[in-house]
Amino acid sequence: MIKLNNIVASYTTVRGQVTAVDGVNLQVPSGYIVGIAGESGCGKTTLLRVLYGDVRFPLALERGSVQYDFCDDNGQVVTSDNIRGYWFKRISYIPQTSMNSLNPVIRIRKQFVDFRHSKKEKAEVLAEVRAYVKDLGLPPEAIDAYPHQLSGGMRQRVMVAMATFFKPDIILADEPTTALDVVVQKGILLLLMNLQEQMKNTIFLVTHDMGVHYQIAHKMLIMYAAKAVEFGDSGAVFEESLHPYTRMLIESLPTVGGDRMRQGVRGRPPSLWDDLHGCRFAPRCPLATELCRVEEPALKEYRPGHFTACHYVESS
Amino acid sequence: MKLNLRLKIGITILAVFTLSSVFLPFFTNVDPSEQGTYFRNIPMSWKHPLGTNSLGQDIFWFLIFAIRNSLLLGVAVSLCTVFISLIVGLSAGYIGGWFDRAVMLFTDSLIAIPTFPILIVLGTLVRGRTNFVILGLILVIFGWAWNARMVRSMALSIREREFISTARFSGASTLDIILKEVFPYVYAYMVVGFINSILFVINTEAALAIIGLSKVEIPTLGSIIFWALNYSAMFVGQYTWIVAPVVATVLLFLGLFLTSTGYNELFAARRGHS
Repeated sequence: MIKLNNIVASYTTVRGQVTAVDGVNLQVPSGYIVGIAGESGCGKTTLLRVLYGDVRFPLALERGSVQYDFCDDNGQVVTSDNIRGYWFKRISYIPQTSMNSLNPVIRIRKQFVDFRHSKKEKAEVLAEVRAYVKDLGLPPEAIDAYPHQLSGGMRQRVMVAMATFFKPDIILADEPTTALDVVVQKGILLLLMNLQEQMKNTIFLVTHDMGVHYQIAHKMLIMYAAKAVEFGDSGAVFEESLHPYTRMLIESLPTVGGDRMRQGVRGRPPSLWDDLHGCRFAPRCPLATELCRVEEPALKEYRPGHFTACHYVESS
Repeated sequence: MKLNLRLKIGITILAVFTLSSVFLPFFTNVDPSEQGTYFRNIPMSWKHPLGTNSLGQDIFWFLIFAIRNSLLLGVAVSLCTVFISLIVGLSAGYIGGWFDRAVMLFTDSLIAIPTFPILIVLGTLVRGRTNFVILGLILVIFGWAWNARMVRSMALSIREREFISTARFSGASTLDIILKEVFPYVYAYMVVGFINSILFVINTEAALAIIGLSKVEIPTLGSIIFWALNYSAMFVGQYTWIVAPVVATVLLFLGLFLTSTGYNELFAARRGHS
């Protein structure tokens, strides 16, 4: 169980503070692929940065903490304060732009061996890396290459290999397939799913592609304007969504053979600079009433394991 | 790794110069700077391949020692300047902020001060009492700033690249990142910077020697020319005295230049260009 205790994270900008994640309070069960979806600027990446413990200027954690599902050497639960010591060992990160995530002037095998944590002999580690890389569907010679000699898909596989080499408990993937074509994308996603099945770790996957979420996520977290609006099993979120925003998002997805005109969600998300009160989705919501504009709905469990933040869950 | 033609020629020239100037001095017990060792103005012969000069010195041996001393000064000073500029440039560029601003203010002042006039003033002040170490130190002080600025600007741009985040996210410390991620990038440019710095040092020393502001008793490429000019070598027909050091200097510079551009080309090929 990974506990996100009322996380409030903000950026310092020239115009002042802007709160990019505003009170996300969740308990995520371990061992699942958790998809995070939402519009650009809704706080997905910021939430991932907080989860990873990469909180540094201009980002600041105003309130709240993260409790991870593993303990340190003294048996204490690791929290956001000391997660840095476990980077890439217990928690790892697959970056958005695999194209540029490898140092272009160093051979890939050296970048593997450069992990400080490996105390073993270099040759031994290299042999392990070769075997591991082969499991992930890369030719073992690939690690002797410079990054520019590999294709985008291969480079992303190398990144996945690096991030999973130490069998971490938690993997954060920030749009891992954005720059790749659909065939390669499918390969990478299947690889992630297989690895997750073997290692039973928790993967947080951020992507804009709802189709990807539908196919591989076990749990879904929908975010809107710095808030978590719905969280639950992905089947339940997709088939019986509780929040009107989620429903409208799913409505807008095209289906094979469907000839219905797709409706977008009208309007724009609110600016995080404004003084926001009430439900943040109210201006765009067809069900919104005076109550929504005044009182902010809390994230509540309406069905077992299915949470949402809406005043009119029952009535809709 | 396939060496290109420039690099081959450059390295060959440098190897000939280095090996001959390092090993040939073991085959003579004559101090070439001693005056009056031989008869004056002997023409070229087997015993004196370039003849002797108006001071009774063997021109060939004087030249060999001069090349050795000039190279030694160049390499020693360049090692120091490259070392300083790497430390200053990498730390300023990677750490950034007020540290960067303070360090760069100092570096820029050194760049802005014209080196050569300062050296002339300093040379005049310590005239006759100067020695090789002091000369080297002065060249170090005025030689590191350009390279430091170059390294700093590279570190500044590399700092923002995605693979630095990857390294940081995998738990690397600042020192690790500077040494293992940024340095490999800068290293090839520093090899070129090192060679160019040797050029600068030999050149500056020669220029100071020619106008008599270095320690002219020590054989260097500049001091030979100083003595040759002083004794009007051209007019008394001592052509080898003045032509030999000039040819040697030009060849040495050509070797350094070809090595530097050839290496640049080789590194570019390794990065995937051309």
